[in-house]
Parts: sequence; C-alpha cells; structure tokens
Amino acid sequence: MASYANEDVLVSTEWVASVAANPEAHPNVRIVESDEDRALYTQGHVPGAVEIDWQVDLQDATWRDYIDRAAFEDLCRRKGISNDTTVVFYGDKSNWWACYAFWTFKLYGHADCRIMNGGRKKWALEGRPWSTDRVDPPQGTYTATEQDMSIRALRDEVLKHQKAGKPLVDVRSPEEYSGERLHMPDYPNEGSLRGGHIPGAISIPWPLSVNEDGTFKSAKDLEKLYVKEGKLRRRAATVAYCRIGERSSLTWFVLTYLLGFSNVKNYDGSWLEWGNAVRMPIVKGTTPDGSPTAPDAASGSV
Amino acid sequence: MSTVAERLDEIVDDFADLDGREKLEMLLEYAAMLPPLPPGHAGLDENRVHECQSPVFIQVELRPSEDGQPGIYLQAEVAEEAPTVRGFVAVLAKAFAGRPADEVLAVNDTLLDRLGLSEVLGMLRTRGLRAIIEYVKRGVVRSLAH
Repeated sequence: MASYANEDVLVSTEWVASVAANPEAHPNVRIVESDEDRALYTQGHVPGAVEIDWQVDLQDATWRDYIDRAAFEDLCRRKGISNDTTVVFYGDKSNWWACYAFWTFKLYGHADCRIMNGGRKKWALEGRPWSTDRVDPPQGTYTATEQDMSIRALRDEVLKHQKAGKPLVDVRSPEEYSGERLHMPDYPNEGSLRGGHIPGAISIPWPLSVNEDGTFKSAKDLEKLYVKEGKLRRRAATVAYCRIGERSSLTWFVLTYLLGFSNVKNYDGSWLEWGNAVRMPIVKGTTPDGSPTAPDAASGSV
Repeated sequence: MSTVAERLDEIVDDFADLDGREKLEMLLEYAAMLPPLPPGHAGLDENRVHECQSPVFIQVELRPSEDGQPGIYLQAEVAEEAPTVRGFVAVLAKAFAGRPADEVLAVNDTLLDRLGLSEVLGMLRTRGLRAIIEYVKRGVVRSLAH
C-alpha cells in the first residue's frame, strides 16, 4: 500500500499553521486540542484552537459512559462547532487524546474530522508559535445523531466476539498484555483485579504505529505491522482495546482511516472493565491463547 | 515559621476565587518554581513515582531546617509534558519545606477538593495527584526510619 486509505483525514502542521494565521479565510475550520495533561493547552496552544477535554468534556461524570447526545450538541455549540464544520484534532502523546476525541465525534456522527499529523510534538519541533489567548468562538448550531454503535463495542458483544474466535487487538504495553503488570499501586481507578489479556487477542502495542516526531508511520509500515505480521484482515470484524479505551482509539483510527479496514470497533470499557468483571475469560503470558510457547506467536492464532 | 496546615490554607485561598482556566494558570506558575533534584538523582528508580504515567521522580529528604529542627524537603524531576503534576508537586514542596514530618503526615487527600482542582481535572487525574500525596507520605515515613 503506497498511500493511506484516506489521505485527507490527516492534515499537516503547515496547513494548520496557515489556517491559524488566517482564520477568516477558513471560517468552516475549528482546531481542537485534546491532551492527557490539560495544563498544556493553558501553557500554550495553536493560535485559535479550542480545548475539548476527554475527562471533563467528553465523559459523563456520573455514569461510566460518554456524555449523552444533548450534552454533546451543547458542547459543540459552545466550542463553535456546527454540523458542517471541519474539525481538526491534535494533542499531546502522539495524538492519543486527539484520536479519542475524533472517535467520540464519529460516535455522534460528525462528518468532517481530521487529525493534525504529529500533534503538539511536531508543532513544537518545528518551532511554530503557541498562544495563551482565551479563545471564545461564535456559537455553533448542532444536531447530533444517536451513538453510532458500529464503531463502539460493549462488553457482552466483545465476549461473543471472543467466543467466536474473531480478531481482537490488544494495544497495551507487553507487560500489561502478559499480565506481569497487574495494576498500578495506589491507582485504583485505573487498575484491575486481574492481569493478562482477552484470549485470542494479538498484541500490537500502540507506539508501533507512530514515529519519534509523533506522526503516523507510513502506509507501507502500518500495512506490514497490522496486515502482514499481525494477520488482521480488512473486511473482518475487529475489536481493539487497551486499558480505558484511549490508546485503542488511536489504533482504531489507524486501522479504519489509514489502512481502510471496514469494520473496526473500539472497546472503550477495555481492560479496566474486563479485568474487573466476574467470569470474563483471561489468559496470561505472551501468546494470544496463553500457551507457554507458540512458534506463530507474532502472527496470532485468531 | 508557619505550619504546613497554615501554608496550605493560604494556598487554598489563592486558588479560591479563580475559574478553571485561572487555576491551571496558577498551577503553571507553581510548576516553574519546582525545586529540581540534585545532579545525579534524576532518573533513579528509588525516586520514581510509579503511579504516574509520565516520568516523575520525587526525593523526600529529612534535614535540619532554618530553626535547626529536622524538616521535610521535596525535590523533584517531572517531565515537561506533565505541567499539572509539576505544579502540584511544587505546591507540596512549598507547603512542606522545612516542616516536621508529623505535619506532612497529617495532610489528607481532601486538599485537591479544597484547591478546586477535582472538577477542573476530572476523576482519573485527581486520583493520580492523590497518589502523589500518598507517595510523599510514604517517603516521609521512610526518611524517619533512616
């Protein structure tokens, strides 16, 4: 594969800089920063960018779920986003949270979402300007759809998927996959009672998808990683998961938009749900089925 | 010299009337004042706060303070990409500097609510910062045992 399945979904820092320098010429573009550390946006953001925070803005504070449709519509209006706005996401950590926000926007049916390739890191490496100005965009008009469950997998569905032997990708670190790292001490909200992985899941840690400068690897490299070595198939129903569904939204993005997979879901409950729920099947070790040694470990047994 | 509780009350007052954005700006001001680790101490696993995803190293030291009594001092190395953590550790470093161990051990995790940071940062990040308070307290207990 010589190029990404959707070339347009990635925009360059250069293009974003031209939008930021001349926003009047791009009234239909809204730049959105989403970070692991919120204070980064406060410290300096792309001029004109608004912030959408994954915890405070996108997640419901009471239920363990995303904000509902009405709250999403309200959020978009406040951030100056209308249904026809081109929303360009970027952030820290090689765009983890940007991809998470992108996924949430797709969940509510937003048509035109992009990612600024390289995120904060590349913007900084290129010495581009940061702004500390408060951004107060004109209100948008917004009507969201119901959640698009074709990109979101809930626990029972993942269990059926697993029992049917369908492809699962675990994008956490090798130590989390093997079960060596059970949970982080004094971090109960992000820990699990059990360690290991979902039986049959292959391990492709998310950082393998990105370069040092925060940009995505080339189409050729991604194809090699996920299709040639990982043996994932473009048309097969595939589920990606991590610990809380954030890193796996990056993998979901790579598979769906860069490699052109047609049916990938993000299991946002991820290990925090699976490793704490009763009677969920779990295996430990470095192989998909938990066997002590497997000659085809790298290719997976799914 | 004011006590840890008095200093924290003052800091809480400073944060009190700020909106979310201003609270983060205040935290960034603290972040810039974080006392650095002495050379050679950065990156040491014994100082690493494993609860944090970004590299965070905190050294808890018990040494004579200005009034000659043993006092707690924090020095830390926090990744540039984690300014919230930098700022919060700096708040603790300022509040604790030179005060006796029992005053530090008496600090509880309602501090984050009192600073109004819980609603600005969300539940998971707040948990991460609570873990730092606990980490520092464990360090204080260790330093007393030495």
